Amino acid sequence: MTVMEDRDREAIVAGLPEDRDMWTNKLRRKFYGKLPPEKLLPDRQPSYVSSWIYVFGVLTLSALAVVLLSGALLALKGPDWWHNSPEGHFVNSLHLWSVELFFFFMVIHLWGKFFMAAWRGKRAWTWVTGMVAFLVSVGTAFTGYVSQQNFDSQWISTQGKDGLNAAGVGALFNVLNFGQMLMWHILLLPLVAGVIIVIHVLMVRLRGVVHPFAPKGAKTHPADDAPWTGKYRRYDILKEGTTALVIVFVLTLLFSIVFSSPDDKQVTLQQWAQNDPVDFVTTATGELSGSTTSASYGYPYNNVPGSGQKLGPISLPSIFGVTIPVNPAQDFVLRPLSTIAFDPSLTSALSTYNGAGSAQQTKWLDNYTKALNNAKAVNGGVVVSSGNYGPLPVMMGALLKMADNGGLEASLVANHGFYGTDYTKPLLFLADGSYLANIAQKDHLLGTQWGMMNETGSYPGQAWLWLYTFWYQVQPFASSGNADVMVWALMILLSLVMIAVPVIPGLRTIPEKVKVYRFIWKDYYREEEKAKV
Amino acid sequence: MKLALAVILPLLASLVNLDGPGHYVNIGVISISVANLLVIILMAIVFILAVALPFPHKKEHGA
Repeated sequence: MTVMEDRDREAIVAGLPEDRDMWTNKLRRKFYGKLPPEKLLPDRQPSYVSSWIYVFGVLTLSALAVVLLSGALLALKGPDWWHNSPEGHFVNSLHLWSVELFFFFMVIHLWGKFFMAAWRGKRAWTWVTGMVAFLVSVGTAFTGYVSQQNFDSQWISTQGKDGLNAAGVGALFNVLNFGQMLMWHILLLPLVAGVIIVIHVLMVRLRGVVHPFAPKGAKTHPADDAPWTGKYRRYDILKEGTTALVIVFVLTLLFSIVFSSPDDKQVTLQQWAQNDPVDFVTTATGELSGSTTSASYGYPYNNVPGSGQKLGPISLPSIFGVTIPVNPAQDFVLRPLSTIAFDPSLTSALSTYNGAGSAQQTKWLDNYTKALNNAKAVNGGVVVSSGNYGPLPVMMGALLKMADNGGLEASLVANHGFYGTDYTKPLLFLADGSYLANIAQKDHLLGTQWGMMNETGSYPGQAWLWLYTFWYQVQPFASSGNADVMVWALMILLSLVMIAVPVIPGLRTIPEKVKVYRFIWKDYYREEEKAKV
Repeated sequence: MKLALAVILPLLASLVNLDGPGHYVNIGVISISVANLLVIILMAIVFILAVALPFPHKKEHGA
């Protein structure tokens, strides 16, 4: 028997007097004092906790459990499994619908807590951690959407990159890099979200649920930060949690069976070259002449004077500079062509092009670009009227052939070190053309179509991005060249306002004025009225 | 088992086919898919029901 075993619990926690100065001892005493077992696993709740709105917190956590479980399976088995096997696709559906349920319950939970003014009585940090958990969850979901490896993820990433790049975070957060996004999605962001959610739950256990607003004329109502002095009711936290988990799992299962999940195949450079060779060659020619979006993009891809968005005088992307170097002419056209062996006519064409002065190159490119306006696709190739195009027709013919047999895709993805699935270059090239955008338009995914919150087909998408998407539709954002950075700045400001609601006069008193709380605590107020009579 | 899943799951999944073209509601600058709109409306309905419906009462105790 050790010295400790014959002592009671309090004494064990307190430890020996000579150990009081130890960090470990201090932390144990502090934790136990604030969160004793009866607070961590309570079996009583104040009797006013008697509304269905209270179940949405635990429903959110239950949905998160299903999200994590289905997500872990997807991460272990990989994209080939979730795209090409029925059981993988089914788990993909479980993941999608549990995410939809997670946000569904979390938003209702948030509304409920707002109308209770749940930050009262030293509970501001409970509200703050809840709001931050919501925002981190939005970010985590976004990385999930761009990690799907299907058409939806391609389109969302090519569109989403502009906002992130304009805000300067694109340097560290490359949505076109599948490997990096998957790492953010399955490890880094869930870790952050998990820590915040654990703190949030501990804050709820520490402070307890907020009291109802005092009834009119009440004399004995406890202060917001005082312990509840009224009635209590039985509350089996584990039973409630288990029931919620079963309900959420059954709902997820049901939605997955009935609705399945969307999975439009990725668009490849091969598919682009085969289905729209004229657009392919026109875009490749634009890369050489420097007239495409990628060629004039600026940070983080290249240094183009005057490019990039600004917030007033500040250019956020220039803080990090060029961190994902992309030279479209070299990377998308000349370098891949230089890897083709045993083609003397191409070798000669490349030599002619590289040996010509820039004035000559520009002349060929201008002539060829004009001719491509009336080009025709014939037998998989591109035919233009005769003219002075120098070596360009031979070069573009070879690039088209390379894309057609899948070699260009492989060439643009290769040599990326750790992340062998960095699709930055093929996606930038693809997005420079109109082929990808034409498909997106049919699926109502363009920015002007509120595309960021839509899904392919008739599936619900990221409805929680409605406000972010909304700003792009109205002035001054709709016509501004700095729309992305302005919308990001506005959303960051609004998010901070939401986080800081407990300390913002006017905003924090809305719940008391709109009186939705009268419905939430109707049983309590009825009891109080009865007691008065 | 694999074969059964391969046959049964797509069959069940096709009970309601959401892979067809989406439908959209357009009002002024607002353009929202019917699916997203339904989710938002459902959220509002569930919230209203959650605050309005009576909660089953359990035995209460003094402080």
